[in-house]
Amino acid sequence: MTQRLNVFAVAPKALEPLQQVAINLEAVGLETRLTELVKIRASQINGCANCLHMHTADARKAGESEERIYLLDAWRESSMYTPRERAALAWTEALTKISETHAPDADYEALAAQFSEVEIVHLTILVGAINVWNRIAIGLRFQNPSDRRLAAAA
Amino acid sequence: MTARMNPLAKAQKALEPMLALEAYFKTCSLEPSLMHLVKIRASQINGCAYCLHMHTLEARKDGEGEARIYLLDAWRESGLYTPRERAALTWTETLTEVSTTHAPDADYEAAVAQFGEQEMIDLTLVITNINAWNRICVGFRAHHPNDVMRKAA
Repeated sequence: MTQRLNVFAVAPKALEPLQQVAINLEAVGLETRLTELVKIRASQINGCANCLHMHTADARKAGESEERIYLLDAWRESSMYTPRERAALAWTEALTKISETHAPDADYEALAAQFSEVEIVHLTILVGAINVWNRIAIGLRFQNPSDRRLAAAA
Repeated sequence: MTARMNPLAKAQKALEPMLALEAYFKTCSLEPSLMHLVKIRASQINGCAYCLHMHTLEARKDGEGEARIYLLDAWRESGLYTPRERAALTWTETLTEVSTTHAPDADYEAAVAQFGEQEMIDLTLVITNINAWNRICVGFRAHHPNDVMRKAA
């Protein structure tokens, strides 16, 4: 697990539009705990250690419980998530595995029942953005802070 | 999410061999921390909330760190797991998704190099038993403790 290159050093400007997504999202006022669950779930599916490290820490800071993060892979089988969160998580999975799911109508309708159109647009862009981050972080083998500490100690 | 039935209440005898296996695992030489990770990883893949609840709680009680559980979906991309754990996690994924992986030689050889024959058998049984538990719990929609919806903040 060696970092391939440091994208922030090589091409910081290229990432600015992605960072803007998070800033735009804040203005819409979607709940932080919901958006963190979305980012964690996509990162679980894509297997992105760097993004899991960042967003589980952010979620805990925002008051999320350990338990709701541990059970997130299995949210469908638990009642610990609200109908609004379940709609967002189903949409996250539909878009993250889009080559298999093709974003079915049923998932979109469940989403539309819980979110306004503006919220749907921002949520969809958020799912897209975390999928982009996952691919950049995995593709270039980002090291999360814990991994950097281990590498320094070795 | 409505529970379908409680198989333990209806047919405890049928489940006793599975419980006996779990009792045996406590006596085997595999580290509890490794077995917890294996059980959590299989339960993540199978989406079993009941087993995730149980085994994350047990892992935390036995001293496992939050980050090693949070990052477990992405263990391949993290340096937080030892070579022995990585071999066990590879074997876990291989057997859990056996219908697509068909248990390749490379995964077996990596695992047996870390574990030897006796532990390889024990590890394999830990993996197959958690897969059985996952299927029973998901199939009957078992409710984990604290399965209450968080009130909207």
